[in-house]
Amino acid sequence: MKYLYRILWQDHSRAHLIWAFLGTLAGFVLLLAGIQFYLDFKSILQVNRDLLDPEYIVINKQVNIGQTLGLARPGFSDHEISEIAAQPFTGKVAPFISNEFPISAYTENEQFPDFYTELFFEAIPDEYIDVKSDQWKWDPEEGVIPVIIPQDYLNLYNFGFAQSQGLPQIPKGIISMINFRIRLRGQGRGNFDDYRGKIVGFSNRINSILVPHDFLRWANDKYGYFTKAAPSRVIIETRDPTDPEIINFIEEKGYDTIREKLKSSRLNILLKLILSFLVVIAGIIIGLAFMVFLLSLQLMISRSSPKIRRLNKLGFHYREISRPYIVLLLILMIGVTALSLLVTGVLARHFSGMAEDWNLELSSRLHGMLYGTSLGLITLIFVANMVAILVSTRKLCK
Amino acid sequence: MPSMTIRFEKLIPIPLVEQDTGGSDIWESDAVLFEQAKKYIIQAPSGKGKTSLLSVIYGIRNDYHGEVYLDATDISTLSSREWSRLRKEKLSFIFQGLELFDDLTALENIQLKNSITGHKSLHAIMEMANLMGIGDFLHRKAGILSFGQQQRVAIIRALCQPFSYLLADECFSHIDRENSLIAYRLISRECDMQGAGLLLTSLHEPELMEADVQLKL
Repeated sequence: MKYLYRILWQDHSRAHLIWAFLGTLAGFVLLLAGIQFYLDFKSILQVNRDLLDPEYIVINKQVNIGQTLGLARPGFSDHEISEIAAQPFTGKVAPFISNEFPISAYTENEQFPDFYTELFFEAIPDEYIDVKSDQWKWDPEEGVIPVIIPQDYLNLYNFGFAQSQGLPQIPKGIISMINFRIRLRGQGRGNFDDYRGKIVGFSNRINSILVPHDFLRWANDKYGYFTKAAPSRVIIETRDPTDPEIINFIEEKGYDTIREKLKSSRLNILLKLILSFLVVIAGIIIGLAFMVFLLSLQLMISRSSPKIRRLNKLGFHYREISRPYIVLLLILMIGVTALSLLVTGVLARHFSGMAEDWNLELSSRLHGMLYGTSLGLITLIFVANMVAILVSTRKLCK
Repeated sequence: MPSMTIRFEKLIPIPLVEQDTGGSDIWESDAVLFEQAKKYIIQAPSGKGKTSLLSVIYGIRNDYHGEVYLDATDISTLSSREWSRLRKEKLSFIFQGLELFDDLTALENIQLKNSITGHKSLHAIMEMANLMGIGDFLHRKAGILSFGQQQRVAIIRALCQPFSYLLADECFSHIDRENSLIAYRLISRECDMQGAGLLLTSLHEPELMEADVQLKL
């Protein structure tokens, strides 16, 4: 059999094969490195959020002129809420409920200036709230309404309003000590009750004045007389805020949210874009290299066609004659796979060293997926070429 | 080994259809039968279809009318696998065009065939080569040997396999008379040893070569 190899490997298509080899290698390295870094960055994005704590996103409808004129519905219908709940990125969803009666608050304390304001309340189930407090409960007997206000409000007051007006800054602890009264007004004159209010916490998550869900439901039953409006905001618990589908969905539906929260989702979209760009480029390179491979081997076979016919006349079957070509192909394919994994490995090691200086953790070892990808792809190229070899040698033989 | 027959029915290669084949023992016959263990010498001038005849039997030409049977099998129904097997085990061919690989040495050309059949020992090959006077050239590239020497390499190669028929196409054309006789005896001996048939084509009246049947094309 060694004579067969000597006869058939003699033809000088080496330059073509070397270029095809290098091209395939370049394409493979590009593809594998792309996947490697994509997986790295993806895991970095995911590590940056607290894994135990699912992310919460508040969604509202964009305010448009139609809503200002009272033509379009500002709230989420039941249908829209169940649609949100059905999205793959949604863990749980809850609408905000709001007061259906007028509310006002005023202070009753000598140390603080008199203060009166009209108010609104919103409520969501407790599990969505980031403030944990044992005072966060409603007991009609006690008549104390716990309130959570956004951290931002306090900041606005302390660092904006108080300073400019020469008023004292108030630390969080003191705020909770301020007693104020809350007046809930039902329909009709004189139909109101006063309750004690107490700020029990500051939320970073929810930009609203929150009261316990139980309380607001009870109060809406007792005092409510506004026409029931559809909830204007919903809160979503999502397991993976990096999911690019979230942004796609919100944009497609014309909803709105605090964009900051979805930074990682946007970054993920960007990463996917870059990766798909890389994959396309790598695909083109691999495709071209594959064509050169195919053509070089075909050229080799057609240059050897007199020899192949002769071997066939001597009793060699076309499968036997194909074997030296297939073995050559196999050697090249194994070479491409091994070398491309090696080069990608060296690149990964090099970049993870560089990234350490920037406090980024890139893995210095190759992801398991790379082995699978390269093996799958190389098998595909190998099989396609093998079929082409068998077909063209068969054509020359009887 | 069960003996194999080669049978023609109204065989005529397409290029010969328009030609005058008058007097031919084969092209003019409705049926021709070759039997194993017999030696046939087929004599004809150029262009009468000697090579075509052997090529059709060997399956490398299929531009013919009529039918060819190996035993009961119509050869047009044979698969590539079956042809390969036939050419390794049943049919051996000494090509008029030799079909040697110029880049391989004479011995390598012989071994190329012998390595797939394992039929002859190196010793036996050397012996045949010495007998035919090319023992000293075995390690030279086939491409630089004279045509006559190459012819003898091709003969030895053809003997390095089991066969039921040896198809020899003008295999002595460039070998002198004395060496032709030596080669013929070697071929006959191998055919006898294998109990095989011989179909030998020749341009001229064969001299001193005993045959069981002489045919004219």
